[in-house]
Amino acid sequence: MLDPNRLTIGDEIPAFCREGTVHHWNRYAAVNYEFAGHHWDDDVARHEGFSAPFAMAPLLHAYLHAMLRQWAGPSARIDAVGIRLRSPFLKGRSMTAGGRITAVRAEAGEAVADLELWMDDDTGARLSTGTATVAFPG
Amino acid sequence: MSWITDEMRGIVGQVMREAVSYPIALSDIRKWAMAVYWPEPPPRQYWDEDYAARFGGIVAPEDFNPFAWMAARPTPDDPPISMSAFRESELGVATPDYKAILLTEIRARHGAPMRPGDVIRCVWKITDYMEREGRMGLMLYTTLSQEFTNQRGEWVRTLDSVFARY
Repeated sequence: MLDPNRLTIGDEIPAFCREGTVHHWNRYAAVNYEFAGHHWDDDVARHEGFSAPFAMAPLLHAYLHAMLRQWAGPSARIDAVGIRLRSPFLKGRSMTAGGRITAVRAEAGEAVADLELWMDDDTGARLSTGTATVAFPG
Repeated sequence: MSWITDEMRGIVGQVMREAVSYPIALSDIRKWAMAVYWPEPPPRQYWDEDYAARFGGIVAPEDFNPFAWMAARPTPDDPPISMSAFRESELGVATPDYKAILLTEIRARHGAPMRPGDVIRCVWKITDYMEREGRMGLMLYTTLSQEFTNQRGEWVRTLDSVFARY
């Protein structure tokens, strides 16, 4: 159980890992009505200049939320999450997301942490960077 | 050569689209959480009402989209408007002729949580255009901003999405 009173700048949060498969992406397509061909059709992805279909950006954004929720627990409040995509998360690769606390402060009786976030694939390519703010009610 | 016309600059900040969701269904929250966390089970707060009661009841994950598939307004028989992308033509301006569109950045700020039964209103605006050279040539970057509020007028979320077109 995370102790909000022991948040420390530089601490890393537990990694969040997922495979890049249409089994993962189909589920998200189904709930978000997101069926663009470049997420599942090799020909469409190649036509648009990619070597393979790639994951949806909102799903990667959702993965960051999930990583933060698993770390922070059910009572924490996720105030902000940003993601900047640098390389596509391609079908057949695997992804590891991580985060590190960059600032800690007390605000209105809450402990608040700022974090830097990232996602890498199994080739070592940096897929995305991001930031987040998470509040822990007192 | 530039993608950005004076007409496009003229629509920055104008309301492009408004939508009102159907009341959020508990089942939609469960399915969303299942999809995002798969193959792991999602946290109990998203599907177990007894467990969630100690935290004030079930809430949707912050990234939940209450407008997927269908909205109460616009209805499916309104003029077709994609709910996941956008066109300048919605504001009477020629849409640039592009080969592909990609979402390159998402910035979300979250306020009041979304709960079962909530009705969410969303307003879309283009808030910025910029362009720069990329590996696909000169690329047009457009920031589409969405403001979500609930039936009590509480601010729920601001979502800025930056799309690249080329």
